[in-house]
Amino acid sequence: MDEVLLSVRGLRTEFVTRDGVFAAVRDVSFELRRGEKLGIVGESGSGKSALALSIVGLIEPPGRVVAGEVELNGRRISGLPDRQLQLVRGKEVGLIFQDPMAALDPVKSIGDQIVEGIRRHRRHLGRREARRLAIELLREVQVPFAERRLADYPHQYSGGMRQRVMIAIALANEPDLIIADEPTTALDVTTQAQVLDLLDRLVSERRTAIILITHNLGIVAEFCDSVHVMYAGRFVERTTVEQLFRAQAHPYTEALLRSVPRPDRLQRGPLPSIPGFPPSLAHLPPGCSFAPRCPAAQEICRDRAPATVELVSESTPVLAECHFARERLRT
Amino acid sequence: MIRTVGGRLLGSLAAIFGASVVSFLFLRILPGNPARLILGPLASQQAIQQQVRLMGLDRPIYVQYLRYISSFFSGDWGFSYSNGRPVREVIATRLPASIELGLYAFAFAFVAAVVLALLSTYRHRPVVDGTVRAISFFGLGTPPFWFGLLLLLAFSQALHLLPGPEGRLGPAVAPPPTVTGLYTVDAVIAGQWGTLGNALQHLVLPAVTLGLAPFAYLVRLLRVNLLEVSREQFITVVRSKGVGRWTAYVRHALPNAFLPTLTAGGMVLAQLLAGSVLVETVFNWPGVGALVVDSILRQDYAVVQTFILLSAFAYVALNLIVDVLYGVIDPRVRTPTGAR
Repeated sequence: MDEVLLSVRGLRTEFVTRDGVFAAVRDVSFELRRGEKLGIVGESGSGKSALALSIVGLIEPPGRVVAGEVELNGRRISGLPDRQLQLVRGKEVGLIFQDPMAALDPVKSIGDQIVEGIRRHRRHLGRREARRLAIELLREVQVPFAERRLADYPHQYSGGMRQRVMIAIALANEPDLIIADEPTTALDVTTQAQVLDLLDRLVSERRTAIILITHNLGIVAEFCDSVHVMYAGRFVERTTVEQLFRAQAHPYTEALLRSVPRPDRLQRGPLPSIPGFPPSLAHLPPGCSFAPRCPAAQEICRDRAPATVELVSESTPVLAECHFARERLRT
Repeated sequence: MIRTVGGRLLGSLAAIFGASVVSFLFLRILPGNPARLILGPLASQQAIQQQVRLMGLDRPIYVQYLRYISSFFSGDWGFSYSNGRPVREVIATRLPASIELGLYAFAFAFVAAVVLALLSTYRHRPVVDGTVRAISFFGLGTPPFWFGLLLLLAFSQALHLLPGPEGRLGPAVAPPPTVTGLYTVDAVIAGQWGTLGNALQHLVLPAVTLGLAPFAYLVRLLRVNLLEVSREQFITVVRSKGVGRWTAYVRHALPNAFLPTLTAGGMVLAQLLAGSVLVETVFNWPGVGALVVDSILRQDYAVVQTFILLSAFAYVALNLIVDVLYGVIDPRVRTPTGAR
């Protein structure tokens, strides 16, 4: 087993709004090993993006990380002053964001935006050298005519090309960890596949660990080693990708899987979906947060929040937050 | 790029043409016979008729317009009906004072607006933001002449920090040799540092007074745009590269939020250069604002017409400059393929 790269313990992020305080991330803990590819799945509003930003200290007011520890490369980075976190961001951790249309500064050239990240962490590099590196990066993410396109502006790039630029920016300083928040959601399906393949190749070559945040289980199946399912700010199930598709310890995971449209399961009638909406994070139910929507909910689910259950299914460890996880995996 | 500039130039010419027609017709249609105004109430009917012929007032109106416009461009702006001096000379003695005051007022308004808008929106600080908003409310709601008098009372009468309403220079100071007509510039050219200091001292209060309302307007505009841009995802992306908060703000949020302020700034500057009667009166400033009001009251067509046309030129020129600056800041304006 590789050594632990990232360790998150009890992370809690709250937002103060007019309707009250709500926790987008509720006491989340997990570990990530060097070179590991972790998928975090969940519906919109489940706290996935807040978790990503919390890890690198980019939560802005009215949000705040109120508890928990983040360790990267054995060094605690949570609670560090921003000045020191800046040295971590872009160097040890690279971020890729959801909407490539909105992720680049429209009035700065692509080259300048890549060079900015390079020179932030390698101050000894001259302008020309940094530009050469930027061209190399653009080549690596397969932007055609990289040398010429360096001076272009974001509006002259297509969505897929912009997302490649984002990947180049995230990889610029060879980070140990990449956090990709819905990196392909805004792209069309063919471009999605290309960008994912590229990302996969680049992180595998460098043995970069990656946290891939998505709501698309298909992408997780293709891309990831392990997967955490997030619901209402918590991980309700943590396991490997194979195990997840084999049997689901949490009813939410099962429901998520069932609502994925699959060509081999085409049938008449509506696509199965999860009834109801994710709970408002300001008014969580007292028991299990999924209980109101759970088809198998019992009285205990509505009264008591489930503890984390550690299981082994077909020699794969599974962590689940469900009162009935054990029974569910046995069946 | 060349095509867009060509289009703008054409539009500018149209704007100037429109302004010239309006100023010409408007003042011709107004009551009052210029020949009578020039010769005075005692002139004989015959003398008036001769004057009318001499001025071409009996010709068709489009001929009058063409004569007017061609002489305007050849530098002959006519003469003042009230005192017989050439309009060029009349305006030339007053305009530099207004331009100098306008430029300083603009510099104050613009710089203060950018700095305060940045401070009020940088991070989430309700107290700073509230203070800036209060100042801008005050600026928009305060009549400038009253504010000017208040400043005079405070800084001149009570504290003796700055000169009173003496005009552009103290009574014992001679104007520097004229090059541009702007005393601060001319003083630097002539190396007269004492005169420069004196001119600057006399500029502070009127410039702040005149610049207060434009400052308030600009700070509100830039504040709103900054708030909007700072929520954009690309700011988070810049931060994720390890760039500091303030650097990300000034280097990325500001240029993106700046365009509307730039446009408004051009308009504000044109307005400021045209002078202000009230502020000029309060500070005894020998500017063009008071001249224009006097000329309107005296039905002194030539002066008013020239002033309108010159203002149109200023507006158009500033607009063109703003358009060019737009292209410098925003690459999407530069390429005809345009925005997404």
